[in-house]
Amino acid sequence: MHIPDGFLSTPVWAAMDAAAAPAVCLIARRAQRGFDESKAPLLGVMGAFVFAAQMINFPVGLGTSTHLVGGALLAFTLGPAAASVVMAAILAIQALVFQDGGILALGANTFNMAVLGVFAGYLPYQLWGRGRARRAAIFAGAALSVLTSAILALSELLLSGVRMTAAMLGVSLALFVISAMAEGAISLAVIGALESIQPGFVRQPSMQRSFALAAVALVAILLVTGGVLVASAAPDGIQKLGQAHNLITTPLSGYQISLLGEGWLAKAGAGVAGLGLVYGACVLMGRKR
Amino acid sequence: MHHVVLDQWSRGSSPLHRRDPRAKIISLLVLLIVLATATRGLPLLAVSFAGILCAVAVWARVPLGGVLSRAMLVLPFTLVFAAASWIGGDPARGAALVLKAYVSALGALVVVSTTPLPMLLRGVEMLGAPRFLLMVAQFLYRYLFVISEQAQHMRKAAAARGGSFRSAAGALAILFARSYEQAGDIHRAMLARGFQGRFQPLSTPHFHKADVVFLLLGSTAPIVVRAALEQFV
Repeated sequence: MHIPDGFLSTPVWAAMDAAAAPAVCLIARRAQRGFDESKAPLLGVMGAFVFAAQMINFPVGLGTSTHLVGGALLAFTLGPAAASVVMAAILAIQALVFQDGGILALGANTFNMAVLGVFAGYLPYQLWGRGRARRAAIFAGAALSVLTSAILALSELLLSGVRMTAAMLGVSLALFVISAMAEGAISLAVIGALESIQPGFVRQPSMQRSFALAAVALVAILLVTGGVLVASAAPDGIQKLGQAHNLITTPLSGYQISLLGEGWLAKAGAGVAGLGLVYGACVLMGRKR
Repeated sequence: MHHVVLDQWSRGSSPLHRRDPRAKIISLLVLLIVLATATRGLPLLAVSFAGILCAVAVWARVPLGGVLSRAMLVLPFTLVFAAASWIGGDPARGAALVLKAYVSALGALVVVSTTPLPMLLRGVEMLGAPRFLLMVAQFLYRYLFVISEQAQHMRKAAAARGGSFRSAAGALAILFARSYEQAGDIHRAMLARGFQGRFQPLSTPHFHKADVVFLLLGSTAPIVVRAALEQFV
């Protein structure tokens, strides 16, 4: 689910941009270490593969079909950090060239799909990818990856004050579960076919337990649990809570309460200063290579 | 493929095409942020921004109809949520979603259709984004069309074998293996031509006086327009 610009309220997109920028910088450096810079062609071409893979339809019954999302499949084959970089590059190209997802919302989309989606999907594989439960781990990882991204996107929309009736929420959650199952089945089938071509394509989960991986995946799962709670609570309630504490501004709330009165230039200044800090941190992080 | 059209537009030679990508990116961000944070008098603000962007597109000699209709790509997703807001008893929010999403997409399109993607990504890199990520994005864009064409062949082949779930999975696995192999070939070919792990740009963009003027204009105009509108609304 690619969120376009204009959907997220300012605190949500700004926070997600501020969270995604350093995360992507760190992951890019980590992927670079694992792959060295000369492997950029490999990651780029595999990104093109994920893009092109969306053309191949998988029948799922009732005359409908679905396609691969790909984050988990890449994580199982290239490793989570590299998969995360590839997905981030895909999202950037989609936002710029295909008008699929917004520019300000790029941080949110990247965080949902490229960072937390990929790492949450890799966690089951890392934990159970060696033993007898390997197939189950692949299925669960791919399903979890899609479910995580979708629920994060939905909760961000709800936090931003986008209205949905309870029935619509139910339908979208059901759709998420179905597409998560489909992603699990597709990834499992493709991994099986890949291993029959050349077993080396699929990585074995590393023996050493990665603390960072576990931390990121845990954050993802906690956020998703929180997201489910948000989604299951009445969205109006959250909106009122946000307005009461002045935490969450909703797109048109100014018609009634005029949050942006005379002070909007001061607020904008504070916002720009905050963005400048994040930007400076990212530049510093990116400098050392 | 229809997206090649952006490549055509972005290779023009108008004054806007010649501006430094950094100036365009920063101006775009200012416009998007000013629009995203707007609450009062949003319809008027969105219409004035759309008007300014159309004027800029005409000035840059980019086909206006093409840009306007391409920005509609955001509408299917947006209209679903706008309808939901409408049903939920908040038609104003629904309208705000459509206006903000459409005008934001229009702004991004005006920049993308006047800056070739390699230049645009280089501008993003010069503004501090991780180079490795942008190199991956460059390769992705370069081979997108190559791999997509193969995918179309495989789709046809999978359909010819009955279009089952298994045949689709087999097709994807073959596509994966081929892409992986192709990436190795590409890398070796690049090494043979002296690739040292980074792109050597033929020319580095310089920030000229005109770019400074454009940056000042582009980043203050949205703020001035909004401040002026909020005085009157």
